Amino acid sequence: MKEIVTIQVGDYANYVGSHFWNFQDELLGLAGDPQADSVFKNHDLNMDVFYRTGHTLQGIDTYTPRLLSINMRGSLGSMSSRGTMYKEAAPATSNVFTWTGGVSTQASEPQKKNLFLQSLYEEENQNMVNETSGSPSEYQDRDITESLENGVQFWTDYSKVHFHPQSLYELNGVWTDVGDFDNYGIGRDSFAWASQGEEISDRLRFFVEECDHVQGFQFVVDDSGGFSSVASEFLENIVDEYTNTPVMLYTVRGSGPKARLQSRNHKILEDLHDAISFSRLSSYCKLIVPVGLPSLSKASKFLHIEDEKHYHSSAVYAAALHSISLPFRMAPVGPTADACSVSGAVDFHGLIQMLSGQGRQNMVSILDVAMPTPALTGGKKELCLLENFQPLTPMISEDGEDLQAIEHLTVHGILASVEGLRASVCEVKDAVDAAYQRANTRPLFSHLSVARCPLPIPLPFPSIFGNQIGKYGELMSDQLTNSPSKGSLDVHSIPMAARLRSSSTVLPLLEYNLQNLHRYGITRGAAGAELLRGWGFEKEELVEMQEMLSKMVATLCPPELSSDSD
Amino acid sequence: MSLRVLNPNAEVLNKSAALHMNINAAKGLQDVLKSNLGPKGTIKMLVGGSGDIKLTKDGNTLLKEMQIQNPTAIMIARTAVAQDDISGDGTTSTVLFIGELMKQSERYIDEGMHPRVLVDGFEIAKRATLQFLEKFKTPVVMGAEPDKEILKMVARTTVRTKLYESLADQLTNIIVDAVLCIRKPEEAIDLFMVEIMHMRHKFDVDTRLVEGLVLDHGSRHPDMKRRAENCHILTCNVSLEYEKSEINSGFFYSNAEQREAMVIAERRQVDEKVRKIIELKRKVCPDNDSNFVIINQKGIDPPSLDMLAREGIIALRRAKRRNMERLVLACGGEAVNSVDDLTPECLGWAGLVYEHVLGEEKYTFVENVKNPFSCTILIKGPNDHTIAQIKDAVRDGLRAVKNTIEDESVVLGAGAFEVAARQHLMNEVKKTVQGRAQLGVEAFADALLVVPKTLAENSGLDTQDVIIALKGEHDRGNIVGLSQNTGEPIDPQMEGIFDNYSVKRQIINSGPVIASQLLLVDEVIRAGRNMRKPT
Ligand SMILES: Nc1ncnc2c1ncn2[C@@H]1O[C@H](COP(=O)(O)OP(=O)(O)O)[C@@H](O)[C@H]1O
Ligand SMILES: [Mg+2]
Repeated sequence: MKEIVTIQVGDYANYVGSHFWNFQDELLGLAGDPQADSVFKNHDLNMDVFYRTGHTLQGIDTYTPRLLSINMRGSLGSMSSRGTMYKEAAPATSNVFTWTGGVSTQASEPQKKNLFLQSLYEEENQNMVNETSGSPSEYQDRDITESLENGVQFWTDYSKVHFHPQSLYELNGVWTDVGDFDNYGIGRDSFAWASQGEEISDRLRFFVEECDHVQGFQFVVDDSGGFSSVASEFLENIVDEYTNTPVMLYTVRGSGPKARLQSRNHKILEDLHDAISFSRLSSYCKLIVPVGLPSLSKASKFLHIEDEKHYHSSAVYAAALHSISLPFRMAPVGPTADACSVSGAVDFHGLIQMLSGQGRQNMVSILDVAMPTPALTGGKKELCLLENFQPLTPMISEDGEDLQAIEHLTVHGILASVEGLRASVCEVKDAVDAAYQRANTRPLFSHLSVARCPLPIPLPFPSIFGNQIGKYGELMSDQLTNSPSKGSLDVHSIPMAARLRSSSTVLPLLEYNLQNLHRYGITRGAAGAELLRGWGFEKEELVEMQEMLSKMVATLCPPELSSDSD
Repeated sequence: MSLRVLNPNAEVLNKSAALHMNINAAKGLQDVLKSNLGPKGTIKMLVGGSGDIKLTKDGNTLLKEMQIQNPTAIMIARTAVAQDDISGDGTTSTVLFIGELMKQSERYIDEGMHPRVLVDGFEIAKRATLQFLEKFKTPVVMGAEPDKEILKMVARTTVRTKLYESLADQLTNIIVDAVLCIRKPEEAIDLFMVEIMHMRHKFDVDTRLVEGLVLDHGSRHPDMKRRAENCHILTCNVSLEYEKSEINSGFFYSNAEQREAMVIAERRQVDEKVRKIIELKRKVCPDNDSNFVIINQKGIDPPSLDMLAREGIIALRRAKRRNMERLVLACGGEAVNSVDDLTPECLGWAGLVYEHVLGEEKYTFVENVKNPFSCTILIKGPNDHTIAQIKDAVRDGLRAVKNTIEDESVVLGAGAFEVAARQHLMNEVKKTVQGRAQLGVEAFADALLVVPKTLAENSGLDTQDVIIALKGEHDRGNIVGLSQNTGEPIDPQMEGIFDNYSVKRQIINSGPVIASQLLLVDEVIRAGRNMRKPT
């Protein structure tokens, strides 16, 4: 077993993370639930890869995510930064042990727990009092899901996971409005400030030290604002300290309308932020996956996403991250491979080598998802597995044909037919092979991982499923379009496919960043030159970044074009 | 100006409104921090929305915890936090002094005086005060053996402003001993060589000095000893973990056999490294009366741990980077980056190494070392905020001792310096100044009194009475401060109340700089909530 340590930096990254860990928690719960489908019990996925065992001072065993989450102070809502499991030796009462003089108290308005969190809390207390009493909860599940639909303010509002006290780090002293923490420059000092960086690194060390053989860091950063620089400072540290441990970086951001009317200057600021942020972040990892469409609602066929709800969009990204992460925890294939419910195990290093270490060595990958993935046969219209993908990476070209593409595909929980029978691993493999054979363009190299276990839909998952989606995520024949979308009460699991793609279709994104950096930051009299100086960048550094971006572009350009791309 | 161009919509305030906005912001921040000052100040308890509690008596910590959004307040807060970064203390005093300079200026400005004139006066007063400080300070001779008593008094003064007396006094000795332990003659004191480690403990509040090192992790093998005496210590930064090698360009995902072969080769390399360490161990521990301990900054995987455990070696992985340096200073030897040229000279020594387990947390003590130049202050407390409180106090104390040794002087506290400087400015300096800048000197002089005034106020005393009494004594040539209990004038020297010279100097220096900037403001653009952000 090789451990993965997950790092989430910034608000939206934690929104995504919250869903991600809810999926894991749901899997753990289903594995222990006698009534659950057997596919959740023998899933052959080693959860220890993402989780650690420990015990509290009171001797109670714990199982918590190997996670370090960083966010702004005050962003945890009603959740305590120490989590709920590890009680302190002495409760944090108003007893002041160190001062005999006066005490003045400044209390923030207490954050009320929402219906969902209240019900979680009560369920827990009930379990402790009387394990068997099956008294019906006074909260109706439907009330809970409805209240979440309209009331999520913090990522913690829909989290059902217990976190370790070292996991949640609140960044201090940013001294700006949360809304103003929106560019690379403004976050620059936060990491180093008041030895926060050291505290953060220490917490990471806590999780790494206990790993026997860490396979890598799954790093998710909200790159829409100041957290980009917090993350890149942190990454610089990580690369220094854990040189040979691969980092897989997801940059994520929410969609929805921009807060204010954009002035030209604000546009420049944003474009420069994006360019700087992308080039800094990519310089510290082996594989970067930009995630986050300007509008997800338009992009998805079967899902009803409200773009302005982070709670919605982050659920889709989290589902894709979950799918991609499955092969990392599959037991390596033994001689009894066929009996397994998984195939195609690959670790971090292997995946990164596959996508960015071979061929053109392009380190930027595109994330695609098919959510839900149609059944192998049946249904009204035959939907080809490979044609159903929808990209979650922004600004990629639509009609890209790249003969040198490299793909890594994870397919899990696929149904053999709409009737709800789950396909075996072999059936899926054969179907994917056939689909590749049929396809017009084939990638140069592809790798497939398959698991039988679908994506479980936990109660606090948003109601984003179209009404043609059935209980097991099967696509039923079209129904009335005006009925409301479905949520976790109607849909219990979803067959998923997700794909990482190293392809030249990502070029527009790279070129856009390169152009903006050049135009607004480097050319003579550039409109943003002053701004970048304010962010602490010297000309030399900018030129270096530009060179790095050009190199990334050149890697992907067809040879005859690469000469004039300078 | 470029500010304005970039943000045409920003609301531009006129000069006078801008000035008053600055004054109010400075006064506002002063009000928040005022009650913190001195040994009779109040501790602040901040309760977050989720019920998380933060406790602090320290101005610096409080500022960092606060959500400040007003640009003027941010500017002052940055200065005050920088004050602590540079000198290690005096945050609260800085905020109060800036606030008071603004408050005193307000009176004159409201009477129609131009801020420029005040600023000129500030400049004169600042220079005069700094000169006065040179005369006023109490020199401390630092020979080969520093005067421990004075170091203790300085440490005690500052720690008692953060912790109740008996707790403070217990810490004082520890702090002084820690600094003296790491001090090397002729070298700057590097306080990072004092590790501050904490442990939770049910009811107790307890702190001790460990001459040696305490690490917050233990060995990761069930068969390794939990306690060993007479230990050779190998401090290293060498990966003892199987890693897949980087694959060069153009490589295509290899077939299974190729991969297998590579794995075996890589594993062999790691084993080879472990074997080299074992070889050294056998050399230095020929019989059973000594032990061998590895403390590694990099990882050690289970097969390597197995090999080491079989040899009776204790091994810790993923040690803090900074502990590499500390270990060598505590135990001797050197930190090695490769196992190729290992010799017995690389090794350090500790009389005792043992593990302490607390819930899922493990601690390793490396103790009984010879001639340590690094040590650990181990804090025990029942909960996070108690520990944080003590940590803050320890940091302040360490800085105070370091400052004293490096300044080779201290300054009489309890308001004595501020009253003396004020009288000096009013009686000697003011008359040498031409014209209305005199009023700037006066404003500055009165602003200095904010320290004794606030100390009196926090003790529940009548500030007017106290100030009159203090001024009177000073005019009679007696250098006095105020007694926190009675308000009577006392001799800080007798009471052992000393502040750091460099802290005072920094306050005098930076206060008027910021106040002047705030007074000379042309216009303030409201939209620019962060001063460094150009939109
Ligand atoms: N025993 C005491 N009696 C009176 N004043 C004291 C005493 N101890 C310290 N002080 C004064 O308290 C002030 C420092 O208070 P403190 O709360 O540490 O604020 P700061 O953050 O400015 O260092 C100094 O002016 C010091 O002279
Ligand atoms: Mg102080």
